[in-house]
Amino acid sequence: MIPQFKYYRPKSINELKSILGDMQDNSRILAGGTDIVPGFIQQSSRFTSITNLIDINCIADLKAIKNVDGQVLIGSAITFAEIMKNELIQTHFPLLTKAASTVGSIQIRNRATVVGNFVNNAPCADSVPPLLVYDASIKIISPNGERNIPLNEFLLNPYETQLKKNECVTEIIIPAPKENFIGDFYKLGRRSAVSISRISLAFLMHEENKFIKEFKIASGAITPIGKRFYEIENAFVGKEISSETFMEIASTLGEKVLETTGLRWSTDYKLPVVQQMLYQLLERNVGGISG
Amino acid sequence: MIINFKINGKETLINLTKNKRLIDLLRDDLKLTGTKEGCSIGECGACTVIVNGKAVNSCLVLAQQVDECDVITVEGLAEGNKLSELQQNFLKYGAIQCGFCTPGMLMSAYALFLENPTPSREEIETAIEGNLCRCTGYKPIIQAITSTVSGE
Repeated sequence: MIPQFKYYRPKSINELKSILGDMQDNSRILAGGTDIVPGFIQQSSRFTSITNLIDINCIADLKAIKNVDGQVLIGSAITFAEIMKNELIQTHFPLLTKAASTVGSIQIRNRATVVGNFVNNAPCADSVPPLLVYDASIKIISPNGERNIPLNEFLLNPYETQLKKNECVTEIIIPAPKENFIGDFYKLGRRSAVSISRISLAFLMHEENKFIKEFKIASGAITPIGKRFYEIENAFVGKEISSETFMEIASTLGEKVLETTGLRWSTDYKLPVVQQMLYQLLERNVGGISG
Repeated sequence: MIINFKINGKETLINLTKNKRLIDLLRDDLKLTGTKEGCSIGECGACTVIVNGKAVNSCLVLAQQVDECDVITVEGLAEGNKLSELQQNFLKYGAIQCGFCTPGMLMSAYALFLENPTPSREEIETAIEGNLCRCTGYKPIIQAITSTVSGE
């Protein structure tokens, strides 16, 4: 049932690096374990061949949320429960707090990590749309050094990222928040608790004198992986804040999603829901501004 | 690998000869069969136990991961032969039918009390979000937890 992997528990980044240096194929980082452990039980081919498991929960440096020159650094062993309770995140990155609160149950949020969520890179990963609109990047270490890359480049395909076998993500880096952004996160599941996203959306908008000055939008679950829509963002910067603009944004998002996914059995349902939800989100959060 | 942890207040040493989950360690090695295995994938909450003060699904935790931790299972709630007030209220309000979800429900409620001794009804509902009951229904369970808060 549970494979007979070798279990490692480094206490420091240096120890982690030296273990990573010795790793062969089929090694995996263990943080929350909420994907890996049930993956063993379900005989998922993604996990059953694991021969080395490196538990990063005892590395104090990875168990921290820091504010460095306005940037927020989130360690890769930080759980969703810790994100939800963090005041810095609540104040400056509320979409991430909201998304975290919709993940699984208390039991899952007490174990599952934000970094594990996007390293697993399921299409429904709830942390991804907020992190994308906040322009998050990540720090990856290996025995040979470290690299920083934007999250949207790190995510390649469903369940596939740029992470190599002797690498470990150590940190999420979120740039200093812009206080004049208004935004929201929306998740639709088949039930209200312990649900897997069918549709998720995150957006941020900066309005000035009733015109859109900056706009960021990302999806999850409706696209094969979480995705930013830069074309839509650019097309609507400079447009006047109005119901017509919101409708146009929502309908354009639907077209782009359809372009990405092609027609599916669920399209008849999901497409109008996505469009209506985005329209409502924009009206609810930004609409009041246009009076 | 030898793991050293506290189970229901008692220091315990276990020599793990093979990889297993926390739930297997509890049920098979320590014979603490109060913790139930339902879905095995973290959805039903029947296997909920407390690790370092937090409710977790013991089917999602590896036995190695509780080394140097403090673990509480449903067997740790009663004092000797006397059931805790929370357990007594589950009986009093009929919050048990088949009983399979009960240990998990109790542990989720207990974890909530550790963090917040006077939770609101909404906080109680959130606390048992990850615990499925398919027979009693949630009303008597919420009633039992609410009554433990108010001391009724």
